[in-house]
Amino acid sequence: MTSRIAKKRGEWINRDKPLTFEYEGQQVQGYEGDTISSALWANGVKVLGRSFKYHRARGVLSFANHDVNALMTDGEDTNIRADVWPVNDGMRLAAVNTEGGVIKDKNKYIDHLSPFLPVGFYYKTFFKPKRLFPFWEDKIRKAAGLGKVNFNYPRIIKPKRYAHCDVLIIGAGAAGLSAAINAAAEGFKVILVDENRQAGGSLSYDYAGDQASADTLNTLLEAVAAEKNIRLITDAYAGGYYGDHLVPIVAKSGITKVRAQSVIVAAGVFEQPPVFRYNDLPGVMLGSAAQRLVHRYAVKPFNKGVVVTANDHGYRTALDLASVGTEVVAVIDMRHDGAGQELTQKVKDKGIAVHKGSCIYEAVPSKNKLGVKEVVVCPYNETTAEADTSRSVRLACDGVTMSAGWAPAAALLYQAGTKMRYSYHIEQFVPGELPEGIFAAGKVNGVFDLKGRLQDGRRAAGEAMNYLGKAVSVEAVKPVSMASPSHPYPIVNHPKGKNFVDFDEDIQVKDFINAAKEGFDNIELMKRFTTVGMGPSQGKHSNMNAIRILARIRQLPVEKIGTTTARPFFHPTPIGHLGGRGFHPHRYTAMHQWHVDNGGEMMDAGIWLRPAFYAPQGSGLTASEAVQQETLAVRHSVGMIDGSTLGKIEVFGSDAAAFLERFYTGKFVDQKVGGSRIAMLLDEAGVMVDDGVAVRMADEQFYVSTNSSNAATVYREMQRNVQLWGMQVTLVNLTGAMAAMTVAGPESRSVVASLTDIDVSAEAMPDGAFREGKVAGVDARVMRVSFVAELAFEIHVPYKAGLHVWKALMQAGQSVGIRPFGTDAQRLLRLEMGHHLVSHDTDGLTNPYEAHSESLLAMDKPFFIGQRSLQILDKKPLTKKLTTFVLEPGFNGEMPQECNLVIDDGNNIAGRVTSISFSRHLNRHIGFAFVTPEQSGDGSGFQIRTDSGAMVAATACKAPFFHLLESKGE
Amino acid sequence: MQDAVLMSPVAFAHALRKPVSGEVNGMETALSFADADVEATRNQILSICDVSNLNRFGVKGPQSAAWLEAAGVRVPETTNSWTSQDNGSLVMRLGNSEFLVEDQPQNSLCQTLNETAVENHGVHKVIRNDAAFIVSGELTSALFSEVCEIDLEGGALEDNRLVMTVIAGVSATMLKQTLKDQSVYRIWCDGTFGPYLWKTLLGIIEEQGGGPVGFNFYYEIN
Repeated sequence: MTSRIAKKRGEWINRDKPLTFEYEGQQVQGYEGDTISSALWANGVKVLGRSFKYHRARGVLSFANHDVNALMTDGEDTNIRADVWPVNDGMRLAAVNTEGGVIKDKNKYIDHLSPFLPVGFYYKTFFKPKRLFPFWEDKIRKAAGLGKVNFNYPRIIKPKRYAHCDVLIIGAGAAGLSAAINAAAEGFKVILVDENRQAGGSLSYDYAGDQASADTLNTLLEAVAAEKNIRLITDAYAGGYYGDHLVPIVAKSGITKVRAQSVIVAAGVFEQPPVFRYNDLPGVMLGSAAQRLVHRYAVKPFNKGVVVTANDHGYRTALDLASVGTEVVAVIDMRHDGAGQELTQKVKDKGIAVHKGSCIYEAVPSKNKLGVKEVVVCPYNETTAEADTSRSVRLACDGVTMSAGWAPAAALLYQAGTKMRYSYHIEQFVPGELPEGIFAAGKVNGVFDLKGRLQDGRRAAGEAMNYLGKAVSVEAVKPVSMASPSHPYPIVNHPKGKNFVDFDEDIQVKDFINAAKEGFDNIELMKRFTTVGMGPSQGKHSNMNAIRILARIRQLPVEKIGTTTARPFFHPTPIGHLGGRGFHPHRYTAMHQWHVDNGGEMMDAGIWLRPAFYAPQGSGLTASEAVQQETLAVRHSVGMIDGSTLGKIEVFGSDAAAFLERFYTGKFVDQKVGGSRIAMLLDEAGVMVDDGVAVRMADEQFYVSTNSSNAATVYREMQRNVQLWGMQVTLVNLTGAMAAMTVAGPESRSVVASLTDIDVSAEAMPDGAFREGKVAGVDARVMRVSFVAELAFEIHVPYKAGLHVWKALMQAGQSVGIRPFGTDAQRLLRLEMGHHLVSHDTDGLTNPYEAHSESLLAMDKPFFIGQRSLQILDKKPLTKKLTTFVLEPGFNGEMPQECNLVIDDGNNIAGRVTSISFSRHLNRHIGFAFVTPEQSGDGSGFQIRTDSGAMVAATACKAPFFHLLESKGE
Repeated sequence: MQDAVLMSPVAFAHALRKPVSGEVNGMETALSFADADVEATRNQILSICDVSNLNRFGVKGPQSAAWLEAAGVRVPETTNSWTSQDNGSLVMRLGNSEFLVEDQPQNSLCQTLNETAVENHGVHKVIRNDAAFIVSGELTSALFSEVCEIDLEGGALEDNRLVMTVIAGVSATMLKQTLKDQSVYRIWCDGTFGPYLWKTLLGIIEEQGGGPVGFNFYYEIN
């Protein structure tokens, strides 16, 4: 490990646990705790990837989770961020987006074509000839990009968890730690989050050659560890801010959704690079990146380096580099006045030359642009951003650190609605007006000196506590006199370009200028045209410079340009994390296992699981055959279906009947106890929403059924209207409490009679009658219904006895060949009966006049939901009607499908098929279709266009369809 | 006529685990899933028990509180709270005018109330079909932090409060009580969701090193 230095105090690697991994076929040594990048850099490997667009070699840039040109794949996972991902023993890694390896990448030639590939070139090129566009599109997509998605990626459940706290603190640097300790000491429950593997922020690397501040960090960490009210979460980032202080914390193991009473954002700042030609070469990195390499991973960034800076931080970096034996050739300070005397002297005392008012005009690449071999230094004019090339000098080096300023890590503040302002004092956006319960502290708040950050943490904690109702004194932080931490325009113009602003997308200064010339001179438009900030690092190192460039182009103050708001999640988050475990509730009827054991083909019916048909193992039945056999059993003998999914609502109270009269279209006040009536529900627009049956069990008690998928909706609507109308009604939703089954067919009476004490004879229990009694020894509610057959009994029993009753009925029906039937047969059976299904044969616009349901409307009532709309609709001519139809006898052509169109003589769309099926019982194809009113009369013909375009003749035909049998003499 | 064998809504969900079964309150019940020491270990870590077989009685309506009191039942004064009777039966006030009573195995309050005629207006008996679970163990926080948004460590269930919340996507009622000298969570949901909720909770529980325990673990009636 050529660049690994002696053990550093506080280093993050475990030297007792060496490990080996492979990178691009090369064996590499590292230690537990190393990131991929730190281990590679320690071994002298400096080409960590290729850039997105031009395939330029890239190395370490930020070393802070934003090195999106150093993305790796291990064959299974992709786009692994090498700068933060820990190495494991035996890992086999390769850079993404290369062809032939990262060094010999065949696509590196694209860099030479870059003058022809400015931003937006693909908006304007390759459109002619049109037929070649797919060819070029394919080439572009393959050449540019990141890793390849592994479609065989294993599903690893990443649980999503909830957590709660009084104060959520984002960022465990000096300010965050200070805030946490102070809030927790007052008894507040604190969650403290940091994206790094260890807390401390810049206290763990920004030492300026003197690790004294590490003592401060140790003191803070010890205080945090001793405080039971603090939950410290490291290696996790706050992905976004949602209303009421909901913040998702994303860790490798999953997302924790933290609901906080208040939030302190102490997220710090992102270092920003100065912009000069070839500032992207491997070996050119941000100053803080070099410090992190040195102090966290004990890696010397380079042997002979140059520091280019536009603030005091570059001097601190130079001192850190010198402390580990790097020969720092010079500090190139872009500021005319340079740093203060004391700091400058400290640097000079290390034998480092300081060049004020200078810049790096360009970095000179080593062979194949795989590194840096020297820099060209020129006097720099801060006003014009021009270098004086007439007085250039060349400094040989193998590395460069860059420091030009900082951008606040304020994504969450923006998302929370913070109004930011631009401070010319520190040349940075800082919070101007914070939303309620949100506080900011530390560098993101514009406070840079250590003492101030600690104070600012206390101040923010105090304000949060006051917000939470505990009166504590809050001491304002006094600003200290210091040089601006950020430079207002750290850009060096160069006629040959390649002075990169955005490293994600290879965007150069001239791209912004060209974009502005083309009219994209608004920050939002410029972002979209140039794609600045739209790469994986989301502009963390590029947006601020982009804003400064645009401000200069437009000759406007920075604050007039504004900023963009990164939507949550502001850091790329794996889909698996967002999906989490995935909760998909299902409802099961009491007879579920019986269905499964007896060949039921279970299907989702809304939230329920229901058998579509039964094909017991070994029966050899196809779905179609099973459905026809089940249907025939009902027509010729008896069948039984599990109807537990029906909505079942009890309506009690002195206003129960009056309530139903207002809620449904029919009349219920005069309904007799023991009888049932159709209950059709409309919405305010008169559209059919649901239909069921209302049974009167007592003067003040009704039992109402709804369609299976509508139970919750109807119940909710009932609850709403009971309150709205102020009626004396109590509602109970029994949908899940009652099992239900329908025994249907000519033998159904004998089967039911054998198990009940209820007189189910035709005289005692006519169609529509309701009775209570015992069935198979269980209290039951029994109704005569005729939805699927002319003779059928719907039996409702408590859920826990459902299976018992079902089995008893199956046993009782054995001698007459009872068969269970599923939902597919049910649909065919009701079709034979001529009953439409609301929401299947009707849609979100169908009114009762269009669906032959006028008989269910009691328009003479004073009020029911939808009545006023119907009064208006009644005066308008109908444009469509739902009708039953048959195809020609013996039809054997292409079967029309649901939603196939009805076509009129003029080849216009006249309607559509809503249901269609072949009935073996009738030996005919039958169905429902919307047609024009003229086509709806019995015997009227119309054409249906099939999927292939064939036209099929259909004839409107009255239902039930059983008269077709009579006409054949059957 | 024949005697009905009642089924827990969760019965088929635990059939695959082949529990030792028996009949409790007329319902086929999983009495134990493993040896006593194994269940004890599970219970210490994280366990779930199906107690859907306990008798329940529901009543709703503006006069229901008065009706219950007239029947000698002590009712909670505030909504979303619960109280226990001298015999251990729980009385939960689910709304201003809605109550759920649950017996211990040896009690018969629910049966008595079921047999008590309702003569006054504004009282309506409610047929119940609850899947009911007991969840306990040292890792309950880990489980609930994943399936429930409510801060259970923040006192939401203290002072005999109950919450109506969503657990793993299912509407549920939840409270905390002491059973067998242990602090346990009680969960009730619509029985038709019972198998789903049982499987979902058990899946997470087993990931945490826990497992199912049978009815006898808490009640030891067989």
